[in-house]
Amino acid sequence: MTASQQPPHTSAADPAVTTEGPPPVPTARPFKQTERPHPLTPFVRGWLVFVALAIGWGREIVTNAGDDQITAGGLTWILPILGIVVVLAAITGFVAWYFTRFVIDDEELRIETGAIFKKSTKIPFERLQSVDIIQPLAARIFGLAELRLDAGNSSTKLRYLSRSKASRLRDYLLTRAHGQQASIRDLDQQAAASVFTDLGITDQPLVKVSQQRLILSFLLSSEWLIPATITIIIVVTTAAFGVVPLALGGLIPLLIGMVSLIWRRVIGMFNFTLAESPRGLRITRGLTNLTSQSVPINRIQGVKVSQPLLWKFLGWHRVDVDILGYAHGDSENNESNASSVLLPVATLEEVELAIGRVLPGFDLDAIELHPSPRRARWVRWFDFWTLRYGWDDRTLITEHGWFTHVRDIVPHAKTQSVRIEQGPLQRQLRLADVGVHTPRGPVNAVAHQLDEQTARELALSQLDRARAARAAERQRRAIEQVRTDDHQGDALLAAFGTGRDQLLGSGGESEVFAIDHDRVLRLYRSRHEAPRRTAAQLQPLYQSWAGCDIGLELPMIFESGERNGRFFTVDRRLSGRNFSGWLQHADMAQRRPALISFLDATERLQQLPSPVPGFARLIGDDAPQQFGTLVELLSSMLRGPLQSSRTQLERDIAGVAEVWNRLHGDLAQRSVVPAMVHGDVCPPNAYLSQGPEGPVVTGMADFSPHTVHADPLLDVAGALIFLELEPYADAAADAAWLEAVAVERHGHEIVRWIDVYRRFYGFYFSNAYAFDSRLYAWCLRQLSR
Amino acid sequence: MEELFAPPSYEWKRLSPKYRSMRQLTSLVVPPILLTIPAVIVGVASGRWWTAGLIWAAAIVIAIVRFGFVGRSWRSWGYVEREDDLYITHGVMFRSLIAVPYGRMQLVEVESGPLERAFGLATVTLKTASPETGARIPGLSPEEATRLRDRLTELGEAHASGL
Repeated sequence: MTASQQPPHTSAADPAVTTEGPPPVPTARPFKQTERPHPLTPFVRGWLVFVALAIGWGREIVTNAGDDQITAGGLTWILPILGIVVVLAAITGFVAWYFTRFVIDDEELRIETGAIFKKSTKIPFERLQSVDIIQPLAARIFGLAELRLDAGNSSTKLRYLSRSKASRLRDYLLTRAHGQQASIRDLDQQAAASVFTDLGITDQPLVKVSQQRLILSFLLSSEWLIPATITIIIVVTTAAFGVVPLALGGLIPLLIGMVSLIWRRVIGMFNFTLAESPRGLRITRGLTNLTSQSVPINRIQGVKVSQPLLWKFLGWHRVDVDILGYAHGDSENNESNASSVLLPVATLEEVELAIGRVLPGFDLDAIELHPSPRRARWVRWFDFWTLRYGWDDRTLITEHGWFTHVRDIVPHAKTQSVRIEQGPLQRQLRLADVGVHTPRGPVNAVAHQLDEQTARELALSQLDRARAARAAERQRRAIEQVRTDDHQGDALLAAFGTGRDQLLGSGGESEVFAIDHDRVLRLYRSRHEAPRRTAAQLQPLYQSWAGCDIGLELPMIFESGERNGRFFTVDRRLSGRNFSGWLQHADMAQRRPALISFLDATERLQQLPSPVPGFARLIGDDAPQQFGTLVELLSSMLRGPLQSSRTQLERDIAGVAEVWNRLHGDLAQRSVVPAMVHGDVCPPNAYLSQGPEGPVVTGMADFSPHTVHADPLLDVAGALIFLELEPYADAAADAAWLEAVAVERHGHEIVRWIDVYRRFYGFYFSNAYAFDSRLYAWCLRQLSR
Repeated sequence: MEELFAPPSYEWKRLSPKYRSMRQLTSLVVPPILLTIPAVIVGVASGRWWTAGLIWAAAIVIAIVRFGFVGRSWRSWGYVEREDDLYITHGVMFRSLIAVPYGRMQLVEVESGPLERAFGLATVTLKTASPETGARIPGLSPEEATRLRDRLTELGEAHASGL
């Protein structure tokens, strides 16, 4: 069935390669060379005019040969007009071509057009959603192709380029659109695509639709058979009464509709091939105009599998997809425009293959379908037995129709909104429809005629499923973002002469790489403004401490900046090794003295001077921000995290409001002289060196928005309780032991305050539910004590 | 019956009573005005003015029937802001309940035509990527409409997720 009717792909012997100009020489490429489209462009754009000219000229010769002077004389006045039209068209075509320039290189994609009103379109590579190649017949004859670039809701055309150049640029642009670095020079050597299918060498055809199948399926499709039958009936009946002309008013629109149907469904879908390229799915199709279209899988919003009645006997299906932004205007399945057809006709195996690519892991048969209740026959007497719906954890399916059986599949993550509807008759029967809305396109998922109770459950549970799917999608995107960031990060690392193997440590906000003995590169993960501001506030704070010796190495920021879209700072490298890493391998005899030095270091931090007196936040929005009392400061610190975690906490802890009130009541009783508080004294932020009597903590890094001028006990408590989070076996036992040491030093009443601050930190880090389940579990433990 | 369209464990917020007054006015005034033109044309064309009278009578009947339904139609409207989505219900004969997740809202519009302005009313429309959504709340007081718009925009940003 899928046997290819096309010649095998040839690249070197391909005539397209020989008809174009000399290939660009990489060494001769100067800076920012703008290019014009192919010089034949004006001719191709003036194609219709040339055709008209050729026909007129041809007719003149014919009539002259037939010695009919009157006709020839009649033509003579048409010819000058034709000539003027052609010249005008040629001039406009030439002017448009002459003033069109484009740049596609490693830095940018820019297209400049317009003779009088200049227009320069610059499209960021990441914004490109799809790059299609379209070859109208005229362009095909000259070996040219149009490049259509979709970004956001706008579509930019670049016409015409030589076919091989267009396909090279397409590959390059798609590579860049996927966030990967590539140089355009690497692609210059790539082989050109086949003339007939425009499939690249690297493309792996998944499904090919043979001409026979396409034509047979078209002849058997309901959309063809209905107008065809009506036409025949009209012609036969009117012919029987000898009044055919009377029916013309109805016949002509019907015929026009049928021709346009043939054009869209047969000519436009000729040689249809769905292929897998390294950049996702690609569709090539068309008899006269060849269209090569990439299918942006992440923009697919729904899938529709339909089967006209007669196809059932041949086991054929048709697959359409909703692609975001494709159905703008009413150019539905226009021959040269991007279409929503994924497969015009395919067997069940091919359908499953294609759907498997579009919705990975989706299994059409695995979803249990529920029929509508029998009483639906009073409303949907014509197709009540075909109504079905079902869902699994990723998609919702609805089915209806027997004349054309339609299955609509909507991934939960793409659900826009949900509607329950009920008409008067349905109300008598206690039935209702549930519609799941997707963006504009062929998919229209409605579960018809459900029992009221079922309808309500389906609608409400669909909202929950959609919400869960959106959350999962966000997470997946965040991970992908990190991957892209990693990629850009690598280039930055290389610029500082370091690399991934020099990773010293990584936390939620940043990763740290060694540059040399004295410096580290801190690469921030987030793309937000926050790290920039934090660094700008930390730099003077660190500087103000440069002169004070508290027997601890403190961090410094030497330099900060942004490169490749990533914010970075160059920091002082603290000597020694990371305390957290060391703890995991040290035995108890070594650990205990080191932990005591950790407690010492924590207490020494209190001696650092604060830039402002009183209770204050030193880093963050509006910092330094002063507060009258400790409670006010700590409440302000909790406000941010609680905003996002409040609902979650209410779900997870029964009496969380009571815990919250108790914390505030306790804190109100605390009276203390404020001192410097690091806010996040934990082993990953501490550095350990070999002292005269064994390893001791000699450095404390990573002051942050947690840093405040407040109760010094906050850090002492933090040092003990964050130790529990360390990933080694005896961490909890060590924490309890260190707590006993601290109690011995500071007196028994601190037991109460450590307990209070456990609850404080439990709230403070509770927004971890969104990104760190282990830390969140720890928070819940603190709050439930 | 009512349960099908009730929001889970929330109370519907209703429309402003002024909206009912506005609909009562339009239901009484619009049909006679609309049907006057055909009535006059028929009367002039045929010369039989009693047909024009019949059309007029029909207009009056339509106006009265519509007037009678305004109260029920007004009562059928309701909306509620839930944690993650907005519910809107309306319709007497054909009832519907639409739920729009905040994360899917692309646009929140407040409109107020001349008549609505005269009654001190405004309409809030929510747009998602789907044209089928068609979520619209008419007959809100301008303060409530602005509050709703600001709140929905804020929630939309907080819940925003890519398509």
